[in-house]
Amino acid sequence: MIETFLGVTVLVCLGYLLLTNLSYVALVLVAFVENGVRRHEGASQDFDVLGESRFTIPVSVIVAAYNEETAIVSTVESLLDLDYPEFEVIAVNDGSADGTLARLVDAFELEPYEVFARHVFPTENVRAIYRGRSHPNLVVVDKENGGKSDALNAGLNVAKFRYVCGVDADTVFDREALLKGMRRVVEDPARIVGVTSHLTIAENPERVMSASSGRRPIDRRPFMAYQHLDYLRAFFNNRLAWSRLGFMLCAVGAFQIWRRDVLEEVGGYSRTFTCEDIELTFRVHEKFLREGRDYEIHCLPDNVGTTEGPDTVRKLVSQRERWQRVINETVWHYRRMWFRKRYGSVGLIGAPFYLLTEVLAPVFEVLAIVTLGVAVALGVFDPTVFAVMLVAIAFLTGALTACAILLDDLQSRTYRARDLARMLLLAPLDLVLYRPIIVWARLLGSWRFLRGDKAWHKFERNVRAPA
Amino acid sequence: MDDLVLRVALVVLAIALPAWAFLSVVVVAGRLRYERRHRNPTERPLSAREADRLVRRVAGRPRTEWGRWRRVTALQRLERAHHPAVPRLLRRVLHDPDPKIAAAAIRTLGDVGDDWAVDLLLDALRDGNGSRSRIASELERLAPAPGPKLLPLLRNHDATVRFWGATLLRPYPDLADATLIELTWDSDANVRAAAVETLGTRHGSAVETALSARLDDSEWFVRVHAARAVGHVVGAEAAPSLTRLLSDGRWWVRTAAKDALRGMGGDAVPSLLAMLTHEDPFARNGAAEVLQDVGFVDFLAADNPRSPLLERIYEAGGERFREAAEARAASAAPAEGVRAA
Repeated sequence: MIETFLGVTVLVCLGYLLLTNLSYVALVLVAFVENGVRRHEGASQDFDVLGESRFTIPVSVIVAAYNEETAIVSTVESLLDLDYPEFEVIAVNDGSADGTLARLVDAFELEPYEVFARHVFPTENVRAIYRGRSHPNLVVVDKENGGKSDALNAGLNVAKFRYVCGVDADTVFDREALLKGMRRVVEDPARIVGVTSHLTIAENPERVMSASSGRRPIDRRPFMAYQHLDYLRAFFNNRLAWSRLGFMLCAVGAFQIWRRDVLEEVGGYSRTFTCEDIELTFRVHEKFLREGRDYEIHCLPDNVGTTEGPDTVRKLVSQRERWQRVINETVWHYRRMWFRKRYGSVGLIGAPFYLLTEVLAPVFEVLAIVTLGVAVALGVFDPTVFAVMLVAIAFLTGALTACAILLDDLQSRTYRARDLARMLLLAPLDLVLYRPIIVWARLLGSWRFLRGDKAWHKFERNVRAPA
Repeated sequence: MDDLVLRVALVVLAIALPAWAFLSVVVVAGRLRYERRHRNPTERPLSAREADRLVRRVAGRPRTEWGRWRRVTALQRLERAHHPAVPRLLRRVLHDPDPKIAAAAIRTLGDVGDDWAVDLLLDALRDGNGSRSRIASELERLAPAPGPKLLPLLRNHDATVRFWGATLLRPYPDLADATLIELTWDSDANVRAAAVETLGTRHGSAVETALSARLDDSEWFVRVHAARAVGHVVGAEAAPSLTRLLSDGRWWVRTAAKDALRGMGGDAVPSLLAMLTHEDPFARNGAAEVLQDVGFVDFLAADNPRSPLLERIYEAGGERFREAAEARAASAAPAEGVRAA
């Protein structure tokens, strides 16, 4: 009886594993096509013309900051240094309890000014607005704490341009980030309502971004390197393919360009979800598809910046359990889109894909670990077969990761050859060195989702050495 | 069960292991090859055979997007080699139904920059082949500038073409004043807005009159352009008309009026003071905001903090306005011996 149960469970888990990995392989093939097309497009793009033309659409960049005193100045400096014809930077201090505001005021010689802006989106009370003479395109909004969505909405109220770019306060940006992000938009602003682009991760983003492209280092610590690989897989193997297939499901919070009127139509960033990015992307899809409107949301392969990654297991678990929670919240909230023809590829492929590979993953992962452990212990399952299976999965992960590394290198040529070789060697070990942490975090996230926890659990920022 | 799992695992391993090894070699070898090429970026000359192959590729009709991009790459390679077939081929690619491909052709035309390329770009602008803003960007960076060739666009029957004609004339202050003034009365609001924007960089009484008339345009975005243009062309004399726009129903118009008034600096102060008691709260706080931004509030706060005028401005601006001004005054270092006139 137990043997039959274990046998069936192992087969179900194996079936799940095969199905998810086959879907990843299919997505990688699509991602190669998309990457190739974007690479050609990028090569025929003249950023000098785009960067100087008065016809390039101006952008309001909004950075929401809560307790970001270690990173905020370098982030805002990198934003003010963007190579773009016309833009403003709106930094929103979301009631930080540390010295975030003081750092900004000191670094940019800010003074309080009153700005009479529209109140399109209700937000927590704005305490003051600061501007500085040295950077006329910088506005700092100081408000009571209301969460990231609330801070972004406060920034939207002050924003004066037609496109807005929401960014994270712990990210250092490439000088051409906006040009790279807006290059697709300027071709067809009537249809392209949202764009995100590839970001990398590092323990100290300033150090990475201070190196020239082609010589940028990848953190030597395997723990950070695995997070880097995780990002590569997410952007290149998944989001690029989603973009190609018309169901780009997550314009990431660290770099998300939206057409302002679309945000106004959908009611801005929602405060009822743990994080804002995935939910907003789903909401825009849902509205436009329900109303039968022509639109596009894209993920581009260009590297636009480096974001700070957690440098300890505890911080990583805290971050990833939050991501798992918001995925569960969003996929569940928009369950009316599942398998509905009316919602096109989002309803027929995108949402079910998320359900299969993200929401249900922790269930199957735990089921597989427990069942296989018991089956091996009871002698129902041969340990040699178990070992062969693990090696097979490890190299399958390794091959998929190698695809992501190849796609990234074809697109950006960002890293040194020796770093790429190191990443390729690390890739198959992901299954045993990194994946267990993620499985635990996802399990925790699913548990907290079921309990209705919506706290942010922000991870403590890394201690930075000077760049 | 063991057998089944083992078989599946072995099949997966047999595919995944070589795939990982192969891809790893491709990544590292590709990177090293790129670095070698990058150190020596000179492009080798195009052989006759290769040129023929590229010409055939450009002249073909690829069905896939990938094929169309290969076509563009071939075209760019031919252009860099100054191949004589390039003008004919560019004309053809410009008509590609895929706007991204047409955009690549537009960019190549901008790189060529010869007279025939300008003519092709203008044809594309007229016919709507590719993104017009992209064409406009290329036309603006061309040297020699295509100025006089733009004039026929102003008389085109298509409003979009007239719009781009008026927009592109901005860098040519000596061309077509009269026609642009005429276009400020065009039936299409976008054309009116473009004409107003371009006239905003010019001078003369006829221009001033035409621009001032558009402050009352029925379309809000024309009023936006008119406010900015009038502020620039007419200057301080336009302050009363612009302060009137502080109570406009459209937020963008009020913002444009504030920007224009800020640009006038101290000259706008008398008109702004008259708005402090306006019945519309937008007009009142807009006037207070501009007085703050041109430095008048800080000047009064330093010179005479108990001044009734300052109190009136604070009343118009509200409590947070007052707090911000007082915080600035408190942090400002006292400039000894300096008194306002």
